[in-house]
This record gives sequence, structure tokens and C-alpha cells, in this order.
Amino acid sequence: MLTLNNIEVIYSDVILVLKGVSLSVEEGNIVALLGANGAGKSTALKAMSGLLKTELGEVTDGSIEFEGTKIDRKSPEEIVKMGIVQVMEGRPLFEQLTVEENIKVGAYSRNDTDTIKRDMEDVYQYFPILARMRHRVSGYLSGGERQMLVMGRGLMARPKLMLLDEPSLGLSPALVKEIFRIIELINKEQNTSILVVEQNAFVALSISDHAYVMENGRIVLDGPSSKLKENEDIKEFYLGLSQVGKRKSYKDVKHYKRRKRWLS
Amino acid sequence: MTGFLQQAITGLMIGSLYALVAASIVLVYKATHVVSLAHGQLVAFGALFFWLFLGGLGLPFWMGLIPAFFLTALIGLLIERLTLRPLIGQPLIAAFLMTFAIFIALEGVFVLYLKGQTRALPTFLPEGNLDISGLSIPINQLISFFVAILLFAAVSLIFKYTKLGLGMRATAEDHRLAQSTGITVRNIFSYIWILSAVVAAIAGIATANVMDIYYMLPYIGINGLIVAICGGLDSLLGALVVGLLLGVVENVGAAYLDPIVGGGVKDVVGYVVLLLVLLIKPYGLFGLVRIERI
Ligand SMILES: Nc1ncnc2c1ncn2[C@@H]1O[C@H](COP(=O)(O)OP(=O)(O)OP(=O)(O)O)[C@@H](O)[C@H]1O
Ligand SMILES: [Mg+2]
Repeated sequence: MLTLNNIEVIYSDVILVLKGVSLSVEEGNIVALLGANGAGKSTALKAMSGLLKTELGEVTDGSIEFEGTKIDRKSPEEIVKMGIVQVMEGRPLFEQLTVEENIKVGAYSRNDTDTIKRDMEDVYQYFPILARMRHRVSGYLSGGERQMLVMGRGLMARPKLMLLDEPSLGLSPALVKEIFRIIELINKEQNTSILVVEQNAFVALSISDHAYVMENGRIVLDGPSSKLKENEDIKEFYLGLSQVGKRKSYKDVKHYKRRKRWLS
Repeated sequence: MTGFLQQAITGLMIGSLYALVAASIVLVYKATHVVSLAHGQLVAFGALFFWLFLGGLGLPFWMGLIPAFFLTALIGLLIERLTLRPLIGQPLIAAFLMTFAIFIALEGVFVLYLKGQTRALPTFLPEGNLDISGLSIPINQLISFFVAILLFAAVSLIFKYTKLGLGMRATAEDHRLAQSTGITVRNIFSYIWILSAVVAAIAGIATANVMDIYYMLPYIGINGLIVAICGGLDSLLGALVVGLLLGVVENVGAAYLDPIVGGGVKDVVGYVVLLLVLLIKPYGLFGLVRIERI
């Protein structure tokens, strides 16, 4: 349903960040995008959602297609209307608005008042905490509550594809499990395809069908998540396990990187 | 006592005009975080257009009102499209200075048209006074006062309860985030300038109802700005309360102090109030307290 064709992204006309990235998301799938800090994961998501333009970024080569339509020149609001919603990194909220108003803003691109009401109830089903806090000013929510709110707000656009940027960041292990359980649930029940960027490779690989590994603006590895979970490199550098179950030293990491660059 | 009350009531009537001017400024701030200096001109042009149709062409009330709204809204829209939209994403000070430039430019047009003369609106509201136990209130001012109150209520309800209002509040907080939720921020900018220009036109017409249109009229924008800032810039309630208050303080102060100091109290009171309020409450009386979490 979504295809990135060898895209190149440049910020401020000079900073080359994505150097030919290709990936695709099939309808109904959960896809994970892994990679070190600064690899360009968020940039890739922003390219898909059109938000790149608000940061002086531009897709300078390649193309992005969603359901057969080229979208790399479209505005963020057009892309939301077409069915792609990005839940941004860092869980930004409209802090002066209440929890419920934040959720309502999520449906801004829609006009079907009755179904919006019903979808709001769905959101409260997925995140009962939000129902209890609906009239609270959202600026004071905790990290976990914020994560639920930004996902709930994203759902209100009825996206066909939801882009989640680091949903687990800074959450307790129990909460991470809960959030990912709900992501799976949303995928099944709402039939929403999901592309999730994660540092927590273990959970991401557990719920996803397919995964990509990004490094330095390029995809260096991809495959079915179950396969990647068994991949030795992934085990070592994202799951933190070496063959004998110990962390590897920095020297080996550099060696790995060198090898990777060679391969790509 | 009656003397004091009479002065206070007259002050309230004047204050409702300040409140309206302030409201037009607050509206733009609420949706875009741009502080506008240009609104004094929108007020003046609103009054001038109304005069053109009523006094100049001799049209009946409604036929003068609607085109006056329309033309003032058009100026507002043009200001937004031509001068502010290109500045979206730039530091807000750029937009602020731009509105100052617009004030100066429109000032030129306004003065050139008036050529030092004044224009008086023909009476379009019922005349006469309402007399209650020794107090006398002109009926036309009373009507304009209640129109102002109703307008405040209407605009507040729009902001609080409509989808457009929600979109405006969201946009004011974070343009980028608003876009990511599907709000067309450009449209929000246009709508708010249209709405705020119409409010400014109403303020202008209400002002021209009590005084002649002359070259100083745009400077009521300064009073409006003082009121808006004291009220907290993003608070319509603040604009209303402070506007009325300033009207009363000015009028009562002038009545009692002018004989002592020899006049001119009206012109200073506003700045004194601004200074005092900002010393005590830097975010204004009704301003949103910034949410800061650690
Ligand atoms: N607006 C911008 N202007 C210039 N450079 C940028 C901009 N945004 C990101 N970059 C640069 O692009 C590179 C990739 O950033 P990006 O945010 O996509 O990384 P990421 O993979 O999401 O990292 P993280 O895991 O830390 O979130 C970084 O080197 C960053 O400094
Ligand atoms: Mg990132």
C-alpha cells in the first residue's frame, strides 16, 4: 500500500540525510523500522507524512507512493485525508487543550459527526485512562498517558496507515508491553496498517510482520521479523546478545559497521 | 454619588468600545500568536466604509453594514495573504513589525482621504435617553454596549465549542502539530483575519456612533492593544473586563482629577494601568499560565 522508491532527502538544501531508501508496507501489516540514533528513521516517516516541508526538508530523488498515488509533493493535511497519520516523536500534545479536545482535533480532517462519536468511544475503550481524564488539561499528563493520548488522537483520523515514532521511549517495561499489545489490537480490529520506528528492537520484532534496519541514511538489512530476530547481527547489536550471551565491545561494533558499509 | 455613577456608566459605554477593539486583536493572537498593530486601521476603515455607504451614498442601515463588513474583511484577508502568510515559520517579531508597517501605510491612505476634515455618521440608532433615578444613558450607546456584550459571548462560544474554534486553538499552540492532525493552517489564518476584521469594523462603527470620524481614530488601536495586553492577550474575557475597567477609570479619573491637574488625565490613565498590571501580573490579568513540566 505504501512504497518508498529509492528516496533521497535533503534538509536546508545541503544536509543529505536519506541516501536512497526503499521500503514498503503491505496492507494490514505491522512493519518495524529499526536503527541507531540519527540513522534517519524519523526523517523517513516525515517524508511519508509530508511534515518534512515544515522543517525545510525535501525529497530530492526517488518517489513515495500510497495506494498508487504519488504523495511526495502533497501537504501534510492532504496526506492525512488520504489515510496516513504520523504520531510524532516526543509525544507532542496541544497542552492547553483538554484530553478530550486533543482527541477531537485528531478527527479534524473528517466530517462524519456520528461515526466520529463512535470512534471516540473506541479510543476510550483502548485507553480507559483517557476516558477518566477526559476533561483534564493535557499538559500535565505523564509520559505513558501522553503516549496513549497521541495514539488515540492519531486513531481519530481513521488512518489506513499509522506511522508511530518511538512509542516506547522512556516508558516502564510493563507499560511498553501494554502499548504494544494495544498497537497489535488496533492493527487487528481497525485493520490499520502500522509502521513503527523503535529502539526497543525486541518488542518491535515480536509484534511486526516485517522489519527494516537503517543505518546512516540507508536500509542495510530487511526481512520477516521472525527471521531478523534470529539474525546474529541483530541479536548482537539491537538485542544486546552475543553468541555467548555477553555484550560485545565497542571495537567489534566498529568492525560491524565497517562490514555493513561494505555490504550496502 | 449620582455624579460618580453617571461618570462610571458613561465610562462603561466607552469601555465597551475599547473591549471590542481589544477583542479583534486578541482573536488574531489566539489563533496565530501574532500581535497586531494594524487593527487600529481596520477599526478606522470599518467606520469609514460604513460612513461611505450611509452618509455618502445614503443607503439604509443594513445595506451599509454588510458591504462595510465585507470590505473591512477584505482588507484583513489581504493583510494576511500578502504580508503575513509569507512570514509563517519566521520569528513572530517579523510579523509584529510587518503589522506596524501596515498601520503606517494604511494611515497614509486614511489621512489622505480625510484631508484633515471630519465625517459624522448620520443617526442610525434610536435617539433619546434612558432615565433611571437621576442617571441618564443615551439609548444608542446602550444598544451598542449590549451588541458588544453579545458579540463577546458569540465569539467566545465559537472558540470554545465549534470545530473551527478548536482548530484555531490548536493552531495557536503548534502550527506543525496542527498540520500533522490534518488542520489546514493557512485556512485558519484566513478565517481568523476575516473574523477579526469584522469585529474591528463593528468596533469602528460603534465608535463612530459616539464621535466623528477624524484623523486620530486609528489610534484607538493603541487603547485596544493596552487592553488586550492587560487582559492577557489570549483572553476574550480579559479583553472585556479590562476594556470596561479602563473606560470607567479613564472617565471617572478625568472627572475628578482633571480639575486638579488641569486636564489630560484620560490620555495617561491607560498607560498607568498597563504599567501597574504588568508589574503585578506579567501574563496579564486573565492570561494563560504557561504549562511547564519538569
Ligand atoms: N530539520 C533538520 N535540519 C537539518 N538536519 C536534520 C533535521 N532533522 C534531522 N536532521 C539530521 O538528520 C539526521 C537524521 O535525523 P532523524 O531524526 O531522522 O534520526 P532518527 O533515526 O530518527 O534518530 P533518533 O533515533 O535519535 O530519533 C540527523 O543527523 C539529524 O541531525
Ligand atoms: Mg527519530
